[in-house]
Amino acid sequence: MEVRHLIDIDPSGILVRYNVKMEKEMTPEEAAEELYPKDSMIYPIAKAIFEGEEDDVVEGLEKAISSGKDPISLINDALMVGMGVVSRLYDEGVIFLPNVMMSADAMLEGIEYVKQKAGKSPETKGKIVCHVAEGDVHDIGKNIVAALLRAAGYDVVDLGRDVPVDEVIAAVEKEKPLMLTGTALMTTTMYAFKEVNDKLLEKGYRIPFACGGGAVNQDFVSEYELGVYGEEAADAAKIADFIKANGDNIVKLREKFHRH
Amino acid sequence: MAVTRCTKMAYASADDMVFGKAVTPVKTGLGLEIGAGYTTPEVNYAPRPEAGASKEKLIKEYERITTDIMARMVQIGAPAVVLETEHVQQMSNHPDWGAAVAHAQKTIMEDYHDEYGIKCALRHTIGDIRETRDFLALRGDKYSVFMEAFEQCAQNGADMLAVESMGGKEVFDYAILRNDMAGVLYGIGVLGSIDMEMIWQDIASVAKKNNVIASGDTDCAQANTAMFIAGGLLDKNLAHTLAIIARTISAARSLVAYEAGAVGPGKDCGYENTIVKSIAGVPIAQEGKTSTCAHSDLMGNIVMQCCDLWSNESVEYHGEFGGTTVQCWGETLAYDCALMNVALDSGNEKILRDMFVASDIYRDAQGYVLAYPNAYRVGQAIAKDGNDIYLRAKNAAIECINIVEEGARGKLELSRFEAKALADAKAAFEALTDDKEKFMSDCLTKYKQEVKVFKPENYDL
Repeated sequence: MEVRHLIDIDPSGILVRYNVKMEKEMTPEEAAEELYPKDSMIYPIAKAIFEGEEDDVVEGLEKAISSGKDPISLINDALMVGMGVVSRLYDEGVIFLPNVMMSADAMLEGIEYVKQKAGKSPETKGKIVCHVAEGDVHDIGKNIVAALLRAAGYDVVDLGRDVPVDEVIAAVEKEKPLMLTGTALMTTTMYAFKEVNDKLLEKGYRIPFACGGGAVNQDFVSEYELGVYGEEAADAAKIADFIKANGDNIVKLREKFHRH
Repeated sequence: MAVTRCTKMAYASADDMVFGKAVTPVKTGLGLEIGAGYTTPEVNYAPRPEAGASKEKLIKEYERITTDIMARMVQIGAPAVVLETEHVQQMSNHPDWGAAVAHAQKTIMEDYHDEYGIKCALRHTIGDIRETRDFLALRGDKYSVFMEAFEQCAQNGADMLAVESMGGKEVFDYAILRNDMAGVLYGIGVLGSIDMEMIWQDIASVAKKNNVIASGDTDCAQANTAMFIAGGLLDKNLAHTLAIIARTISAARSLVAYEAGAVGPGKDCGYENTIVKSIAGVPIAQEGKTSTCAHSDLMGNIVMQCCDLWSNESVEYHGEFGGTTVQCWGETLAYDCALMNVALDSGNEKILRDMFVASDIYRDAQGYVLAYPNAYRVGQAIAKDGNDIYLRAKNAAIECINIVEEGARGKLELSRFEAKALADAKAAFEALTDDKEKFMSDCLTKYKQEVKVFKPENYDL
């Protein structure tokens, strides 16, 4: 029995569950089914990615390779296709973040498998350096960002948490990334972003520096020249895709991604 | 200090619980008593980013913050106030910085108390600095710096000591993003409780030695992470039904501080505190509509139901039209407290409490379970097996699932996704053993393999 309260209300006039009202008819599985490729060798791999079943991904890849498919081509033709279904349904609000994380794990396992089979590494969409601000050990946001970037096909150089400013600069110099990301939870640690910005400019690097996290806000990120504010972790992959398509102009990036 | 497990409820019934009153009130600070029949605003703040550049800058920033709050409280005639300084990492990593800030703040507060008679107390929440870049380092060298930070703050003006400890977070962070309920239970309920048992015996000893209050710990690092990821109604990052399961497990964890010698008030961001209060009878701080400066949580009013301190969570110090942020938010808190205190003085507190509850209870599964009659039920499930940190955490999760299922048969609406996540979680918990040792052994093997940053030696395992 539902607990009875001294004051009983009709919630429909006071509280609106917009998410319940907006629900689509199709289940996530049905929606995914419509998006899977029809090729009988590729279909089970894409489905296993969606379901986050690592063993099934590898099994599907084994069969496809045995049937003559080129291992490296399976990354784009099967693994990324399956991940594309996942990303699309996440963007549409049909599935949730844990599904994406589990699918990303399965996809990475699949990539490792085909790399071993092929004996070489595949080309990626580009390299991105991720870090958590110096002094800050809260890294769940960075881990989500890194997983979503990998799921979108980027090569992520994950520097970890509490990363000294000079180490960030050295990583940018060494890796020549498409962009840099920074996350922070606390106000006094996110000040390190400004130092990173200033040192990058001093050395002549003008790469986009996508920042977000608990205490980080758009006003603060706008204060430094390379800063692009990401309100959600999922923005990181969208910012990277925008750079690939439109170049790394910070003004344009801000026009596109700054919401407030 | 010894650990005494809670196996009974502090309150005979849920209806006995109300804001402003606790079974065991706490005297602290300058003339203040918490849970003794009135509520008090607790103002919390963060320095501006550039203030962390040096010790002197930080002290100056906190002096401004403290003076602003005390002046505004006197200007509006607030009878009492608590200031909570949540350490930025520089202050806990350098205990003399935290101590200097505490001393500067308390000096200002004493002046206001002497001149105007305002009741006030200073809470210092030490940062959990026990980590290296790669791993949690809960035991070892960092531990002594951590304890030194408590000691120095206690010696230099802090009236209450608190922390938001991180034990279990490495496993939890991995598990919550994979809908892994065994991992959530292991991270929060078992590893977190093991760590808290160690630190809170020591913090309580420091408090006793320095004649200050060991106030409490909340599961901010885990349950609040789940709540934050879950977000609002249209966010699609985590099912809210899973966030409330994590929250109820966190009550079994947060309780450990009181079993190890803390006396309250529990910290504001512990939305599990109503459950904890039902078992331990300690006063609690809460945050809700007045913490929207820090985050949105779908529980604006309901968490006022049993609060003894009413907090704004944290606001960055800067200017607004109405004054500085700490003045604006402090004033808002004070008006909320005035309303609750009128209700208490006039005998209308249960009516107001139930209005707070009714205004939020059907918004979301999280508020539904934390409504005091349901929170009390979760408390009973924990106390029933209070001696077993695993079973009590598991009981909390299962009772939470029962409550949400009952609610969904009534006026609590769930999205299809939330309902499915709940059903999957139920199956996961029902499949778990009742044997703590077997659970511990299975989890140790699994998470050592899957979570690279999990170091069993942190928990003496």
